[in-house]
Amino acid sequence: MINLTVDNKEVTVEPNSTILEAASKVNVNIPTLCFSDDLTVYGGCRLCVVEVEGSDRLRPACNTRAREGMEVKTHSPRVREVRKTLFELIIASHDISCELNCLICNRQNSCQLKDVAEDIGISRMCLTPGADEERESDHSSHSVVREPNKCINCARCIRKCEEIQGVGVFAQASRGPETKVTTFKDRGMGNVECTNCGQCVVSCPTGALHEVYHMDQVWESLYDEQKHVIVQTAPSVRVALAESFGEEPGTIATGQMVAALRRLGFDRVFDTNFTADLTIMEEATEVVNRVTNNDNLPVLTSCSPGWIKYIEHFYPDYLQHLSSAKSPQQMFGAVAKTYYAENAGIDPEDLVVVSIMPCTAKKFEASRPEMNDDVDYVLTTREAARMLKSVGVDVCNLEPEKYDEMLGVSSGAGDIFGASGGVMEAAVRTAYNMITGVNLQEIEVTPVRGLEGLKSAEIPVTDDLTLKVGVAHGLNNAGIMMEKIKAGEEFHFVEMMACPGGCISGGGQPINTERSWREVREKRIAGLYDIDENKELRLSHENPKIQKLYEEFLQEPGSSKAHKLLHTEYVTRGVPGT
Amino acid sequence: MLQERKFLKGPELRDIDDYDFPGFQKALEMGPEAIVEEISKSGLLGRGGAGFPTGKKWELAYQEEGENKYIICNADEGEPGTFKDRYLLDERTLKVLEGIMIGAYTIDADTGYIYIRGEYSRQIEILEETLQKARKAGILGEDILGSNFSFDIKLVRGAGCYVCGDETSLLNSLEGMRGSSRSKPPYPISKGLYGCPTLVNNVESLACSAEILNQGAEKFASMGTEESSGTKLVSLSGDINFPGVYEVEFGSASLQEIIEDLGGGSQQGQEIKFIIPGGLSTPIVPSDNLQAEYSYEGLQQAGSSVGSGGMMVISTAQELSDILTRIARFYMDESCGTCLPCREGNKQIYRIISEAKYAGLTVDRLNLIQDIGDTMQEAARCGLGRSAQLPIGTILSEYKEELIEGGNLP
Amino acid sequence: MQKEDTDILLEMAHDIQDTYGYIPEKEIAELAEKLSESRATIYGALEFYSMFYTEPTGKYIIRICDSISCYMNNSNEVLEAVQDYLKLEAGETSDDKLFTLEVVECLGHCGEGPVMMVDDRLHTQISPGRAVEILSKLH
Repeated sequence: MINLTVDNKEVTVEPNSTILEAASKVNVNIPTLCFSDDLTVYGGCRLCVVEVEGSDRLRPACNTRAREGMEVKTHSPRVREVRKTLFELIIASHDISCELNCLICNRQNSCQLKDVAEDIGISRMCLTPGADEERESDHSSHSVVREPNKCINCARCIRKCEEIQGVGVFAQASRGPETKVTTFKDRGMGNVECTNCGQCVVSCPTGALHEVYHMDQVWESLYDEQKHVIVQTAPSVRVALAESFGEEPGTIATGQMVAALRRLGFDRVFDTNFTADLTIMEEATEVVNRVTNNDNLPVLTSCSPGWIKYIEHFYPDYLQHLSSAKSPQQMFGAVAKTYYAENAGIDPEDLVVVSIMPCTAKKFEASRPEMNDDVDYVLTTREAARMLKSVGVDVCNLEPEKYDEMLGVSSGAGDIFGASGGVMEAAVRTAYNMITGVNLQEIEVTPVRGLEGLKSAEIPVTDDLTLKVGVAHGLNNAGIMMEKIKAGEEFHFVEMMACPGGCISGGGQPINTERSWREVREKRIAGLYDIDENKELRLSHENPKIQKLYEEFLQEPGSSKAHKLLHTEYVTRGVPGT
Repeated sequence: MLQERKFLKGPELRDIDDYDFPGFQKALEMGPEAIVEEISKSGLLGRGGAGFPTGKKWELAYQEEGENKYIICNADEGEPGTFKDRYLLDERTLKVLEGIMIGAYTIDADTGYIYIRGEYSRQIEILEETLQKARKAGILGEDILGSNFSFDIKLVRGAGCYVCGDETSLLNSLEGMRGSSRSKPPYPISKGLYGCPTLVNNVESLACSAEILNQGAEKFASMGTEESSGTKLVSLSGDINFPGVYEVEFGSASLQEIIEDLGGGSQQGQEIKFIIPGGLSTPIVPSDNLQAEYSYEGLQQAGSSVGSGGMMVISTAQELSDILTRIARFYMDESCGTCLPCREGNKQIYRIISEAKYAGLTVDRLNLIQDIGDTMQEAARCGLGRSAQLPIGTILSEYKEELIEGGNLP
Repeated sequence: MQKEDTDILLEMAHDIQDTYGYIPEKEIAELAEKLSESRATIYGALEFYSMFYTEPTGKYIIRICDSISCYMNNSNEVLEAVQDYLKLEAGETSDDKLFTLEVVECLGHCGEGPVMMVDDRLHTQISPGRAVEILSKLH
């Protein structure tokens, strides 16, 4: 162990700890920007510089190891002076101007520059802010917009895309004052192998990256008397939306959210969980068939659109392994525009389906030609929060309300879709029943839970069949899993989620600048399992509304009607240029 | 009258058939530890600019354990005002090669690199030919000169980037990445190329090492002063009659003598305003201080440093704001762009200085440059960012009044 | 490919550029494959270096040093003459795709300024007239 002092406070840390870690142990907050606890250290912004007794210049706390006997001053006059100048330099390079950029910025409430300004105590500016040249915004993607003028070159998006997602669509190009984050040959995110996962958005400390907004279109539909506007909410939204209203991560606000969305003006408020149960019916049926017939095993899940685009780019030879089942969002759209429209007596032309998703890739998914415009608009959790705020709805203080029944009843299996391993667990619960005719005794499949990047489990089903399942989350892990499969490791069924931790930390979720990624993920996941545990209905195949849907409309899982509406195809994309 | 002291300089040495590598032969007889001692005894300080004791560097590299070790000859000479490595590569090619071989043998490296700036096309040709001939002659390859030491050198061309002369940036560049700096520690000596122990030496340091083994550390140490042994190649340029590369024994001359006796004085007898003694990253020495002795300690006393030995003479005929603008532009353009103080700091300094050409400088603006400069010195990640401010800062403080009055509005 | 072999990037990029005059997209993708990096990373790395071009350039690349020592020896007059003659600003390529003009930092010939490079060929102590004369012979 290593003993040192930080601002005269004694602290003992593990060998190889950084000064930043030592400081946080004694609750000393050192401002950072390019640092992120889930990424490799970059050491570029230099805001975390501190004075180390005996060193002639300041040292970056993020990248300097604590040494025995070290005396660190984190907020000495010398340090504060340097930080103020550094901050001025950042702001001068960032497009904040009298055009009120801050106030319309997507990060108005989660701007890390503002946090840092407060941490440093900025009270004057001498440099003229503003970028030297207008850099064009990138609107090429269906999911993510990039505004390079707000970019401060911290490289967090680059590292996130490369290290956590294993994709690498971003790089720094040029040098000196021209240094910029860009895509291959400046093509734009929509024209390269971007998966639309939006992890870059949530790793950005500024407003340089944000989702493609659908808010205006949704407002327009809500104000249009002709339109019948319905909304679906993804599992992960209910444990994150409250964060935008000041609550802890993982706060469950299902009922309040439903009430809030009614106030916003949606004609019906439905639940994506309902079609998550439906997805399980179709997917489990497919798994059972394919396992029985040893057909293209392992079956790979298909509900994460970021993962789908990833496999289309990087492992197109394995597309036939994907389950053909559409994602819950798209199944909802398909059922809404047919079954619901018919039952409610609404012309599908007048029906507007909006979804609220923790995800940016869902915007791309909804726009895929295979999906028929079944879902009209996709709002991220963040957009939903902004819309609610702008009509004065304080979500957390509303009386909880229930979802509209028809497409609003769900099992706990649907809720846990949002956590890594959840789709697997939900599917196992139902597949077991489909094969054996009885339910699992212990329905909680704990080995597939948690934040371990790669997980696997063996579930004894019959004397002849032990189901071997795998789970990966974060696309880098998905890539590792694909390599294992390529190398011959055998699984029956593998769940792949684009985002680390699953949808709960999707690219569309509220951005928490206060807490570590791990903590936020754990709390949101805990929220979902909590909901499942407290529900009476925990098995998709027992959902009475699902049973009714099959009886009245779809006949049975895997029927030709189900196939027509609920299943899809994939596209070989490869990586352009190779 | 000051004369050159020729230790490194000499007739063109490129023909491998005419050279028997006496320094390297001696090295093979001495063994690594004795070589380290010899180099340390010579008092040689790194000639690239930083001035770290070469013997110490070799000793550390020798002590590092590692299956692979590398030696890199840094021939990415790009600091404005500096062209002495080019002279050595042109004229004393085999001395440079010999220095690399001695270094490699000492630290037990089996692969070496020469990282040469891409614009040195003629020197690249010379080196390609030399390396090829050396392989043919058995000077490079397996069991060199009958020893059990095997070693080869790869020549890698840079591609127009000053910061790659910084050793950590050079490593990134060699590894096929952007040539941005690395955080130190770890130092290249322990974790350099591909994470292996790596010795990076400047061309002149390596040529010196070859000569030190050849002529003896005592001979080298007998030249110069206590703190600055040996000679230094000085590249003279700017407002001067006879620009070129001159070899100067430390302590044997003042700056004035170098300029007058070797460089033939300033062009057309113009009055010298100041000099930049060691490449664009060293503080200026104003004309009233040209009596300073040419040595590490002498220049330190004069508020500057030996740097790379790129001595630029600036006369009163030059427009100060134009000189300033060019210095600022150089650092702005050549910043690798990774760390904020260097990338944005140099940009802002350039902006203020280039605007000042027409609008004049104010005390506020000067203070602002000072603040930014201090911040860069305190917080920048590598040497480029930390030294960028040195010449500009010293010009601003020395000629403050002139600059504040001197905005020449059209 | 082993991580230890990534030192090939610079040399391969030079060779590709010598062949095509620039580094075409397809070659960047191949480099990326060889080095097990993303296309973006290789593109970003190449773009770092001012000698590499990822878009076609003129047949001749003209580099004029405007660093401090050359400037003191009137490099700006050479630059102006060349700009006037080629009708190009720094960084531009002529419409006939014959010339790309670059203003560069120190070329390491500070004692012989002003300096102009035409591709690999170096011209030292050049006058504005001589510079134009050299270029006129390339037409």
